[in-house]
Amino acid sequence: MSRISPRRVALLALTVSVQLILALIYIIPFYWMVIKSFRFTIFANFPPNLLPTLQTVGNYVYVWHFSAFPHWYLNSTLIALSVTAASVFIGSLSGYAFARLRFRGRDILFYTVLATLMIPFPVVIIAEYILMVNLGWVNTYQAVIVPSTASAVNVFLMRQYFTTIPQEVEDAAKIDGLRPHQIFFRVAAPLAKPAYAASAIYTFIGAWNSFLWPLLVLHSVKMFTLPLAINFFKGANGSQIYWNQMTAAEVLTMIPTIVIYVVFEKYFVKGIALSGSKG
Amino acid sequence: MRHLRGHERVSGLEQLTGYLFVLPTFLILGVFVLFAAVYSLWISLMHYDPFFHTVYPVGLSNYKYVASSQLYWFSMLHALEYTGVVVTIQTFLAFFFAVLFNEKTPVSRFTRAIVFIPAVTSSAVISVLFIWVFSAQGLLNAFLVHLGVHPENWLESTTWAFPAIMGLNIFTTAPYFMIMYLAGLQSIPSSILESAELDGVRNAFQRFRYFYFPMLKFTVFFVVVLGIIGSMQLFDQVFIMTDGGPGNSTYVPLIYIYNQAFVFDNFGAAAAASFILFVIILILTLAQRRLISEVRWA
Repeated sequence: MSRISPRRVALLALTVSVQLILALIYIIPFYWMVIKSFRFTIFANFPPNLLPTLQTVGNYVYVWHFSAFPHWYLNSTLIALSVTAASVFIGSLSGYAFARLRFRGRDILFYTVLATLMIPFPVVIIAEYILMVNLGWVNTYQAVIVPSTASAVNVFLMRQYFTTIPQEVEDAAKIDGLRPHQIFFRVAAPLAKPAYAASAIYTFIGAWNSFLWPLLVLHSVKMFTLPLAINFFKGANGSQIYWNQMTAAEVLTMIPTIVIYVVFEKYFVKGIALSGSKG
Repeated sequence: MRHLRGHERVSGLEQLTGYLFVLPTFLILGVFVLFAAVYSLWISLMHYDPFFHTVYPVGLSNYKYVASSQLYWFSMLHALEYTGVVVTIQTFLAFFFAVLFNEKTPVSRFTRAIVFIPAVTSSAVISVLFIWVFSAQGLLNAFLVHLGVHPENWLESTTWAFPAIMGLNIFTTAPYFMIMYLAGLQSIPSSILESAELDGVRNAFQRFRYFYFPMLKFTVFFVVVLGIIGSMQLFDQVFIMTDGGPGNSTYVPLIYIYNQAFVFDNFGAAAAASFILFVIILILTLAQRRLISEVRWA
């Protein structure tokens, strides 16, 4: 149907304008946050001045030099990268085993992994916290990293992807005399790059933004991750919040996940499609 | 599950590799989910003080304590109210967003990227940002004065603080669930959409009723279930923005659990409260499954 009817044109115009209005609603709070981070005024004035102004970069300088911000950035980066690397690697090993390797009890083990998804996090936080106390891990990196090194979601996502790779590819490798783990590392894993990318992106963003668990186990200011630091900034000056410095800290916290989103945008939908298809 | 192919003998090496490959997952999930859940149940039957190492069984008294706590049921009612409102609105809104942004035009891609920003942003950043948006001199009032609404300090009002948090979470989760619907929509072959159009399914409601809904039923199911589980566990935004106040008007179960454990050192009661929450979440999600399977037979 190549003929363009007036109805079509009207629909397209309507769609585009609704899209633009929504984008405007969604961008304004963030836009305001960014322009505020380049201003002097500590106190908010009403109505807010929404015109872009570049008065100072002092808020960024302050946040970076006069708080533990670089340290918090390092903590967040270290934790998020470790969690991502471990969880994606372990998820792919197990996902591959559940998709391709034959061993006794495989199905029961797989359903056990899925069943852990039914247990909501609040049910285990008390026990997990006490476990951390008993291990002496409170206020350490491993308290945040180790419990997140395996994820049922990543196992499931990787398994779904490995089942879509044609069996023949691996059979050929088997005939060539490769052992099962060699087939995984040399043949299957390199073919699963989109699945690795999707699960790495979601895991990293989740770990970077995680709040409740780090709040429970990281107590000293030096150990804070960025979300804890943001919360700390909010309470640090009594009821008076230094909005401008705060907004600079917020912008700096958001940058990595926004960059990841912009660069890997196509994997966001793909990741969900992978885990949703073929139940 | 794929059946074993033919009568080919499975080598011991393959079995061993299989076990080794699933071992790390079982170690971690075994300790931090399965064991932790059982351990939590055990703690809920104890008086438990991890700092002075006093542990002794108290039977069901933690459960009695929680069940007779007015604040706990108050927080539970809040969570149910929150779940009802937020899940209903976000499920429809996310669907609307997905249909709206499911085009490959440059405008569509660009605006979709903007709308998705809150979904990749830290809840702490969003919460602090919206403390300002909802403040007396904030963005919301700046907009509402033009409509003749009297400026209000939304988060300090016992009437408006909770609806404000609901609004914020619909704002951030609708784009997140939009992605799930988009994945679902993109798995529908376009030939089906074209044939539906030829069959005269033209108006939006019919298209939803006879076409999108049946095709996306399982996506809808996931969005609703994940929405319920997430909403019942609301914590970050409340903790940062209002800490349950003003006057307990935003008190939710996780704030109760947090305070019992980490403010009052009452770990047994916190564990009991978390188990009661678990049972309620389980009932809600199972009811959902029942509902959706009935829809399938209809």
